[in-house]
Amino acid sequence: MIKIVKRDQPSKAIFFFTPVLAIFLTLIAGGIIFYILGFKPFEALKFFFIVPIADKYGFSELLLKATPLCLIAIGLSFCFKSNNWNIGAEGQLTFGAIVSGGVALLFYDQEGFYILPIVILAGAIGGMIYASIPAILKTYFNTNEILVSLMLVYVSKLILDYLVVGPWSNPEGFNFPETRQFSDSARLPLLFEGLRIHAGIFLALAAVVISWFVFYKTYLGFQMKVSGFSLKTAKYAGYKGKKMIILVFLISGACAGLAGVGEITGPIGQLHREVSPDYGFTAIIVAFLGRLHPVGIIFASLVVAITYLGAETAQIFMQIPKYTGQVFQGMILFFLLASDYLLFFKFKFIGTKK
Amino acid sequence: MNTNLKISNVTKIYPGCVANDDVSLEFNSGKIYALLGENGAGKSTLVKILSGVVIPDEGKIYLNKNILKLNSPSDAKKNDIGMVFQHFNLFETLSVFENLIIDTDEQRENLKEKIDTIMKKYNFSVDLDVPVLNLSAGQKQKVEIIRCLIRSPKVLIMDEPTSVLTEQETSELFLSLKKFSEEGILIIYITHKLKEVMQLCDEVAVMRRGKLVSVSQINNENIESLANKMVGQDLKTIKKKKENTSSEQLIKITNLNFTSEDPFETNLVDINFSLNRGECLGIAGISGNGQSELFQVLSGEIISNKNSIEFNKNFIGDLNPQERREYLMAFSPEDRLEQAAIPQMAIFENVALNNFKSSNFFNNGLINESKIKEHSKKIISEFNVNTDNIDLKSQFLSGGNLQKLIIGRELITSPDLLICFNPTWGLDVGAINYIHETLIKINEQNKSIILISTDTDELLKLSDKISVIHRGKLSKIMNAEDVTSEKLGILMGGGN
Repeated sequence: MIKIVKRDQPSKAIFFFTPVLAIFLTLIAGGIIFYILGFKPFEALKFFFIVPIADKYGFSELLLKATPLCLIAIGLSFCFKSNNWNIGAEGQLTFGAIVSGGVALLFYDQEGFYILPIVILAGAIGGMIYASIPAILKTYFNTNEILVSLMLVYVSKLILDYLVVGPWSNPEGFNFPETRQFSDSARLPLLFEGLRIHAGIFLALAAVVISWFVFYKTYLGFQMKVSGFSLKTAKYAGYKGKKMIILVFLISGACAGLAGVGEITGPIGQLHREVSPDYGFTAIIVAFLGRLHPVGIIFASLVVAITYLGAETAQIFMQIPKYTGQVFQGMILFFLLASDYLLFFKFKFIGTKK
Repeated sequence: MNTNLKISNVTKIYPGCVANDDVSLEFNSGKIYALLGENGAGKSTLVKILSGVVIPDEGKIYLNKNILKLNSPSDAKKNDIGMVFQHFNLFETLSVFENLIIDTDEQRENLKEKIDTIMKKYNFSVDLDVPVLNLSAGQKQKVEIIRCLIRSPKVLIMDEPTSVLTEQETSELFLSLKKFSEEGILIIYITHKLKEVMQLCDEVAVMRRGKLVSVSQINNENIESLANKMVGQDLKTIKKKKENTSSEQLIKITNLNFTSEDPFETNLVDINFSLNRGECLGIAGISGNGQSELFQVLSGEIISNKNSIEFNKNFIGDLNPQERREYLMAFSPEDRLEQAAIPQMAIFENVALNNFKSSNFFNNGLINESKIKEHSKKIISEFNVNTDNIDLKSQFLSGGNLQKLIIGRELITSPDLLICFNPTWGLDVGAINYIHETLIKINEQNKSIILISTDTDELLKLSDKISVIHRGKLSKIMNAEDVTSEKLGILMGGGN
């Protein structure tokens, strides 16, 4: 007989094991779905998860996709650790891209070493401004940050849409909904000839290191930890809750904004309608899959990045719609939440008693 | 009709703890039995076994010589065992009658008739049509009791029933229980309040650390003998030394009001009091009458008008808890696990929650771990916290040790005023004694205490002055010598 028993304490090993279990279950469920669709499960999974990263180019693409996911997820972990539910990273990314893109367009016919830092900074500030809206509304008007940040995503996408079609559209662009190409000085340098991976990855790695330091070594990190466990305790300890809410939103917005900068000054090189394939939403999954831990987030971003690549390969070689990628992302989150049950409960095998 | 309930060699083992170790007991109807023990003595487990919530690892239960199989609470109900828990299991928004009809198969009319008979017989007056949330704690308890009586039980188990009642409600309850007993219902009364055992019961079984220590007639016992059995060591009786307290005023509250937006909170109305150095002001009251709000206003979790709180000649009404600590105030909230400490964090991290500028726990925004650890070790040794591992998560401390850690954390900086809210709630006698001694000691060091508590005995023991809070209003402040628990009871219930 199998019995489900409550754990006396959440197990540390299980804490890091459940994400692995979730990925494993996702693979099995994915295989079953492919089988139902009439594909050979193992072959399909191979196309999905192995073929895309089998060569140098594929690996560079993997890092390219993982970079924004990691960067945004690191930012989100600041919010989530302190019980602030910022769901609008996609909007902060888009707004960061708008601001930095706008600045880059100002310099479209200029060259100079100073341009790129200004563009990057503009992106971070753009993300911060956009994230400050739900934060301020939450602290001073008691609004729900989930709703506000989520709705602002669509606002920012419409603003971008308006800009690339209207005032910022390329005068020589035959009315295509896109801006001019940025000058080379406003582009993040490529790391290797012929590959698309760019210097944005260093921004992500820096964010990982800095966030680790903040989480575990600073008073701010300590306050976030306390607030995450119990807001009542944070209040009792006298932490300035409002300031902290705004601060974590700003950090999170800055990271998302930087991810936006990475996209438009890296692979794209201009503003157009779709600067991000929902990186801001997917990063929420990454943050939780990585257990809000900086190192965990690195691994999680790599795993989730594969689903983007796999979906493209699967579309090309097997004519499966690329939205399968989102199905896989959804399944990962689903199985992660489900297997988190094991954190608090365990199965006990007991012999039948007479 | 006689009822005989027999527990035979019951053992229940939880990981790391033997909750019931070979317990055998026999009860007969016509008597009221007390099951006495500290928290964690195993009485709750035994009661859960009797009510079918927990299944014992070994042992049997007999009702009138027949083996009882209690695999679920409904089995207990079927076998006429009724149970009134400490925390009510009622739907607040449903009416009394709806609450009663919910788990019976009886017809509406029949049930109504039955309830009427019960109410008449035992002199209960509860309005059946009002929603439960409008009832007082005592009335809610009556609803729970009626719910049991509808099934005409043979056994009625009461789990710490008086923790939420006023003195008057308690004596009413005792009268009813005696009546039930005369009717032939076997009554098992679980408590750790010795006085109640002496007042109510005929026989008393004492449990300690899962074992049955003694079963005896109440006539052969007194409060001291029972306390010693319960704790297992001779208790020093502590008495507060009456010294001439100074007349230097430390804190003065003037016209303090708090209006909450939350309908489940109590508004505070025009609070005024002052307290001298070296004094302890006790604030009595039934829980839910504004104690929690008063604590938060005093600690700074709720910020009020700057001038409404004068502490050491500074106006501090608009400061948050951390800022108030700099003026040498300290706070010990009621909820140890959700507010005063974070169980998932290590002991030393919990120590860092009480953070002064001069303590240097955090320099330039960085955590100074060695400083915090050094400080934690000091607290652990000075306040007898029973561990030497400050990296231990505080969830592994017992309630008593955790409370010692919290009190120690607040007191080690030698504050001028300690504000504590139910500091011994749910603790065992040993820990309670230690906390009480500590509180008396700081009074003797000419430091002041505001003690908000729902335990009248504790208040009478420790306070120099006592006031009662009722529906957010404070009664006038009385000298503790002039106060009796009866008088407190009347004020707590809203009388004069």
